[in-house]
Amino acid sequence: MEGYVQLSATRSARAATGGSARRWAPQPSAVILVAAFAALVFLIVVPAGKLLVASLQNGDTGAWTFGNYVEAYNSALRLRALGTSLMYASSVTVLSTLFAVPVAWGIARTDMPGKALIRPLILGAFITPSYLGSIGWILLAGPNAGWLNKVFMAVTGAPSGFANIYTFAGLVWVTALYGFPYIFVFTTDALERVSSEMEEAANILGASGLRTIFRITLPLVTPAILGGAIVVFLDTVALFGTPAILALPARIHVLTLELWGFFQFPLQAEVAAAYAIPLVLITVGLFTLQRRVLGRRSYVSLTGKGGSRELQQLGAWRWVVFGYAFFLVAMAVILPYLALAQAAFSQAWGRGFSLSNLTLANFRLLLIEDPTARETILHSFTYSGATAFVAVALALAVAYVVQRRLVGRWGGLLGMLCMLPLVVPGIVLAIGFYSAWAPPPVALYGTATILVLGFTSRFLPIAYSSCLAAVRALNPEMEEAVRILGGGRLRAISRVVVPLLKTSLVGAWLLVFIPATRELSTAIFLVSAHTRVISVMMLDLSENGSFEALAALGFFLLGVTILIVATGYKLVGRDFLLRRG
Amino acid sequence: MELSRRSILTTLAAGAAALATDRAFAEAGDLQSIYEAAKKEGQVTWYSGFLNQTICADIGNAFSQKYPGITVNATKTTSQVAFQRLLQDMKGGRIESDIFSSTDLSHMAFLQKKSLLIHFDPPNAKGIVPALRDLDPKGDYYPGWLGVGAIGYNTSKLSAAEAPQDWSDLTDPKWKDKETFGSPIYSGVVGNWTVALTKLYGWDFFKKLNALNPLIGRSFDDSITVLNSGERLVGLANIAAVARTAAKGNPLAVNYPTSGTLVVPSATAIIAGCKSPNAAKLFLDFACGPEYSKILAENFEVPLRGDVAPPKGIKSLSDVKTLTPTLQDVETMLPDTKSKWKDTFS
Repeated sequence: MEGYVQLSATRSARAATGGSARRWAPQPSAVILVAAFAALVFLIVVPAGKLLVASLQNGDTGAWTFGNYVEAYNSALRLRALGTSLMYASSVTVLSTLFAVPVAWGIARTDMPGKALIRPLILGAFITPSYLGSIGWILLAGPNAGWLNKVFMAVTGAPSGFANIYTFAGLVWVTALYGFPYIFVFTTDALERVSSEMEEAANILGASGLRTIFRITLPLVTPAILGGAIVVFLDTVALFGTPAILALPARIHVLTLELWGFFQFPLQAEVAAAYAIPLVLITVGLFTLQRRVLGRRSYVSLTGKGGSRELQQLGAWRWVVFGYAFFLVAMAVILPYLALAQAAFSQAWGRGFSLSNLTLANFRLLLIEDPTARETILHSFTYSGATAFVAVALALAVAYVVQRRLVGRWGGLLGMLCMLPLVVPGIVLAIGFYSAWAPPPVALYGTATILVLGFTSRFLPIAYSSCLAAVRALNPEMEEAVRILGGGRLRAISRVVVPLLKTSLVGAWLLVFIPATRELSTAIFLVSAHTRVISVMMLDLSENGSFEALAALGFFLLGVTILIVATGYKLVGRDFLLRRG
Repeated sequence: MELSRRSILTTLAAGAAALATDRAFAEAGDLQSIYEAAKKEGQVTWYSGFLNQTICADIGNAFSQKYPGITVNATKTTSQVAFQRLLQDMKGGRIESDIFSSTDLSHMAFLQKKSLLIHFDPPNAKGIVPALRDLDPKGDYYPGWLGVGAIGYNTSKLSAAEAPQDWSDLTDPKWKDKETFGSPIYSGVVGNWTVALTKLYGWDFFKKLNALNPLIGRSFDDSITVLNSGERLVGLANIAAVARTAAKGNPLAVNYPTSGTLVVPSATAIIAGCKSPNAAKLFLDFACGPEYSKILAENFEVPLRGDVAPPKGIKSLSDVKTLTPTLQDVETMLPDTKSKWKDTFS
């Protein structure tokens, strides 16, 4: 595997000489390269540039100043909030990894039972909007009236419950329960590509099962785990929903909550920009760290030879692994949705469970009676679907260019650009989008396109991380073969890379599609009367006290997502290795 | 994005010019001629920070029914977002919203100071209850929604007599771990509440509240969920949300505090330099009229006019003592209140 580096060196040398010998003509791949770069400029550089400029200008006079930065960071409370946010994101990342990796391994590499149940439920956790997940957990673990606490008190006779969701631990717990699917999807995808030959070799050489996992299997998928972890970290730093519901009552100040203060009157959007811009450094830092960890080692696991993939027989232990996975989906989906079901199927959820209180009216209202609700749901799915296609196509192009080192040192910059939008909180990013694209000359005000662009930019980092991990695992020899046989780079991509990475690309598509359907902070800035999306409708319902309809909508989303996931995986069929095995 | 207000000032010049002709037009006072001009505009765009999208759409439809040929593009977001979008539109040199509605009167005061509102005297304004009619003495903006706060409680755990009767009762130690309210940092209505109660009881009131470990949410409406679930029993609650939720059978009700029910007016105004100033005037008049208030009442919101009955389960504001801090009080006291809040409740 270490040979890859040398191989790529000879290859680029060959490309250099070969390229100059041939008569130059605009290669399709070059066109794509330029288009991808232009897209990144339009999607990221321009809006981010607008934010940067704003952060350096006086709000009233427009004069250049560092005053906004001073104003933003000259406060002990805000500095502390920044620290708390980093602590919060780190804790969530660690917990999410502990949640995701064992289950991913169980599903991808072992004969664990119940996979068909666990996998869709994990993606169900993913679709759950943070607002709904948090309320579900308040109903479960609220210190006074939480179900779990009530049961605990009834069983043990204790005077008070054991869980309080309004704490730092509670906040981390809930966030990780809805964030871990990022790492799960990345890791399962990578694990499913690794052939079991190396594991078998380790076993033959006498390594124990655990030793094999930690020395062979997991190291091979480090880029995927790391990629997922970075996404979780950045996403948590910029998260608003869960902290707004759980951190505020717990008197915990995180950065996104502080940011909202700048949007109260007197409006200080420039200061908000100044407060958010340094977060980009976090992205740069994580990127550097990632490069250090991955080093120059190769993680090629997908070769042309197919390889075999045997599922590890766990014996009785497979029930332990299943138990852990089931515990996780119970915590993330089954229990909270049971609590929410009480609202979704009730006329009045505060009345508690009774037969006379049961109704389907909340679903009927959403799906049949309210025409705007239907439109809104349709908008969300079409915009998010379009977003996922655009983001994955762009991300694959950039990841390919970067990983195959087609643009030399510029690759690092391209990659960094792709990762930036995630860490900047949505509310700030949205201002950049709106001011870049709403007015002329772009003039996308009120269109569906502006939402698709906004979502694409916002979630490009996820698509990119996912594609990068996938391309990294792909042995370049196969594309080499195409090119040696006279095919162009474009042909190599469309006939070799895309088919081989089919399941990874579906995974990446879902990783963008799902958060796009629940995205609120950028959406609320970009919607118009005719382009409303579910998240904005949920905000309405929650402000309106229509919790029954809100819970019903949550259920509907869960059902549809599970359906989409199941269909998606069915359509692409089983992956390359499995078919052979 | 240029957040400087330079181009707002450019818009201002155009707005001022428009203002002069608009005044003359309004003095002619003929809605019919405004309607004729509005028909040529064909549509009116409304950025709303209050109500919700469904209600806004209902209002738009009712308007189009009364004035055929004019459609309403209502976009409900939050007041902060609507205001930020408005400023961005002004920066970008293209004002998209003819009508702007915000729960934060400071937004209106800001726009008024910069002459970015079109003055218009809607004939229907005469029917608005006297206390609200002159929300803006200059008549540049008019009430569009009322945030009304009283003491909400869970009726399955407490009777009306057991629940607090006045704001001051909230400091009773028996409510330890049982109270909830929003935060002035995030909610304008809650901000008004803190200003009003600081004037009544001094800041000590909030220190006593903090000793009872209240559950502090974000918005004015957050209390509904925790009250309904029984996680908390009493708190500052939006009476419209309580009435709406209780009408379905949920165990919620309010006590109207003896020293005054919190009433926070929100406003609607016409933006200078907008594309459809005539349609906007018609709309503003419509928003002051009985049809608009009826839609409010149908949705459990408090009507703005005396000739529209309040919704079921909500007392008429003429029957209860009300508490409304002045805009001046809010502007002078709120910044200080917010920083005290951060100290007390952190």
